Amino acid sequence: MILAAILLAAAPMSELDVLLTPAPGRLAVEVTVNRELPAEWSEALSAGAPVSITYRLRLYRNRHWLWDQRVAGHELVVKAQRDPLTGVFTLVAELDGEILASGQVGSLDEAVRWVTHPPKSEIAVPLHREPLLLFLRAEFLTHYKLLVIPSTVGTDWLGLSVPELP
Amino acid sequence: MSDWRRSWQRYRRQNRFLVGLYLLLLLLAGAAYALFSRMARLPAEQFTNRLLTFLLWWFDLTLIAILLFILLRNFFKLALERHYGILGSRFRTKLLLSYLVVILVPTALLFLLSAGLLSGAAKAWFSEPVERMASASVELSDAVRAQAEARTMRAAGVIADRLQRIASEPGRLSELERLHAELGDHLTGLLQGGIPVVEFADPRQRLLQRLPPLPPEAFRVDGVRGERFGGTLVVRAWKRLPDRFAVLVGEALPEELVAAQARLAAGGVAYERLKMERPTITATVVLGFGGLALIVAFGAIWLGLYLSRRFTAPLVALAATTQRIAGGESLETVPLPAEDEVGMLLGSFNSMVQRLSQRENELKSAVHRLDAVLGAVRTGVLTLDAQREHVAGNPAAAAMLGVPELATGELPLEALAVAGLPRLVETIRTAEGAVRGSLTIYPGEIARHLEMALVPLGDPTRPEGWVVALEDLTQLLRAQRQAAWSEVARRIAHQIKNPLTPIRLAAERMARQVERGNLDIETIVTQGSQAIVQHVQAMQEMVDSFARYAKMPPLARRPVPIGELAQQAVALYQGVREGLSIVLADGSHGMNVLIDPEQFRQVLTNLIDNAVEASPANGVVVVGIEREADEVVVSVTDEGPGLPMEDPEVLFQPFYSTKGRGSGVGLAMVQRIVTDHGGTVRLEPNELHGVRAVVRIPEGEA
Repeated sequence: MILAAILLAAAPMSELDVLLTPAPGRLAVEVTVNRELPAEWSEALSAGAPVSITYRLRLYRNRHWLWDQRVAGHELVVKAQRDPLTGVFTLVAELDGEILASGQVGSLDEAVRWVTHPPKSEIAVPLHREPLLLFLRAEFLTHYKLLVIPSTVGTDWLGLSVPELP
Repeated sequence: MSDWRRSWQRYRRQNRFLVGLYLLLLLLAGAAYALFSRMARLPAEQFTNRLLTFLLWWFDLTLIAILLFILLRNFFKLALERHYGILGSRFRTKLLLSYLVVILVPTALLFLLSAGLLSGAAKAWFSEPVERMASASVELSDAVRAQAEARTMRAAGVIADRLQRIASEPGRLSELERLHAELGDHLTGLLQGGIPVVEFADPRQRLLQRLPPLPPEAFRVDGVRGERFGGTLVVRAWKRLPDRFAVLVGEALPEELVAAQARLAAGGVAYERLKMERPTITATVVLGFGGLALIVAFGAIWLGLYLSRRFTAPLVALAATTQRIAGGESLETVPLPAEDEVGMLLGSFNSMVQRLSQRENELKSAVHRLDAVLGAVRTGVLTLDAQREHVAGNPAAAAMLGVPELATGELPLEALAVAGLPRLVETIRTAEGAVRGSLTIYPGEIARHLEMALVPLGDPTRPEGWVVALEDLTQLLRAQRQAAWSEVARRIAHQIKNPLTPIRLAAERMARQVERGNLDIETIVTQGSQAIVQHVQAMQEMVDSFARYAKMPPLARRPVPIGELAQQAVALYQGVREGLSIVLADGSHGMNVLIDPEQFRQVLTNLIDNAVEASPANGVVVVGIEREADEVVVSVTDEGPGLPMEDPEVLFQPFYSTKGRGSGVGLAMVQRIVTDHGGTVRLEPNELHGVRAVVRIPEGEA
């Protein structure tokens, strides 16, 4: 028990917490970002600039002998913007371009909590024989290495097995 | 059609260009599709920035790829050309490297400087003062709103405190109206369960009367909220009373103030958005300048390659032509590319080539004439290189030596030895200067007698080549031999005829006297038989001398003191005639000479015998021995009447005699013995009178 506790404490915490809930033909995905958001992201939000976090979801067929085949890809974009006059944060979540949820909060902490824990998303799961894998990552910003080489600031890809229906 | 158009059409026809263009367009289309599909939902400004960045990236990457391709292709070609030693590759490599250094270093420096400056400028846009202004605008908006919120909250608190002490509703309403007027709020209201019971609004703020009511759930707790409405900011604060009533106080900020705040906020937001796009802007600028630098570098390198080819092409053509000429190919001119200095150089070269060509033609004509002459002459001529390793000859020489290949080209000298001419090869190889001599060869088992003269060309110490002249004496010698035999036969006949006549006469006389019955026949027979015996004996001596001449034994040479041998010969003739003195002038100083003593004694005896016979009474015969260079000269001088004819060589022919007696083989034997010793003999007039016979023989190695 003690050893397990030590190992758990020593293990690096995942940047993303994901809860997958399967349903017939659908998969509910609930994501939570565990890492600190980039300071410039937060500053930009506080100053009234529109910011967003893009959650990329990719579904693969886990084939035994061949490479994993990508079967679907989705984008959950969570946008946030503060009205500098009213101080209200307007929040919108869009899944593949369609508004999933929206809201208004009055503080930065609430807004950050909203965007790092977006509403549950439901994505279509195609019929399959092989087990499915879901890969996710959250992207915050685009930076440039050596001034010109684009690089995305975000979490690492997290791979999960899609649970089968009971 | 211009050269440019022709070369472009030729280039366009090449498959690799079409394939490359196709692949490039395919890549461009794919990349554009991926980019558009990914960025479709971005705001227009970000979309433009990303698209610009992508296009610049694509442009830079393709330029870099093309530049690298051109450079690597050219370097690879140059490396191959250098490896195979193709003319002009070293010069072109130097030229290309120079161009690259001259072009790339300043371009890279310019790019780095520009990128640094622009990056610094971009940093300056987002400087601390601007940053402070932007944050101050946000703070100002927050502070103004916070003040309004505090005021409304305080007013709502005051009103709620008063109203909760009044139980009746009419009392509350009158107190509310009084406090609205007293506090001067823009909006004061009393709500029950979130529904307005009464609202008092400042007549100057009619806008507030149109405000939508707050949602009922908002009244679960006390609160304050700012809202944009009608071009201004409305702040509403509410405070609940213990009995489901709530007090609402509202304030509309001045429109001018809100408009100014809005402008400030918009500037701040724009600044923040710009700050968010700062890396993209920097990348775009750097990529733009990178592209510009690459265009400059590309153009300059392309120009450099073109110029290096253009500059080196005439020089390479010139070098290739000179190399071909140096390699022995025919003289040729180089096309003139221009009127510049290179053109002048090539013009001079072409003039030189034309003059050389003219000379070459003249030389060829001379050689052809010489070949014709050499082909026509009957003298065989061999030519050899300075090292005497290769030989060529004219048709006469080829025929003489039985080697037809000599007339068609050069052969190794060794080929003559293989063809059965080892003595000729040996003579040629070992000669240290001009050599003359005779040679007997046996081409095709037939003896050929050749007279040979070997002459070095140019400086004898360092000859540039050798020439051998061969004269075929076979026919001549055969004719001479036939003539000699005819002469011999004639002389033998003459010699035999001389004694035969007296013999015949003696025999006829004896027969006639016997017929006549001469009583003195005995005497006559005796006289006749004596005469016959005498003449037969003379004939016997003549035959013996013929036999001696014909059966000369082979030489048995050994070192012999020549002075001593001469002394013995002279001693034999001392006192042979009264009054005749024979003197020996021995200058040999005891020298040994490689000779056959018996045969050389015969030489001395014959010469002294002739001299004694020719000398008058009281004459002097002088036998002299001298040494000249590597020869021994033996002379016999008499004081006789001198040479009987102009050509003394005739005297050395066998059976030729001027004395009317003897066999006539004495001088012939002398010549034969001397020749066998490798020497010479000749007769020459003495200074006053008489004859001087001179024998020269090589000293030989004693």
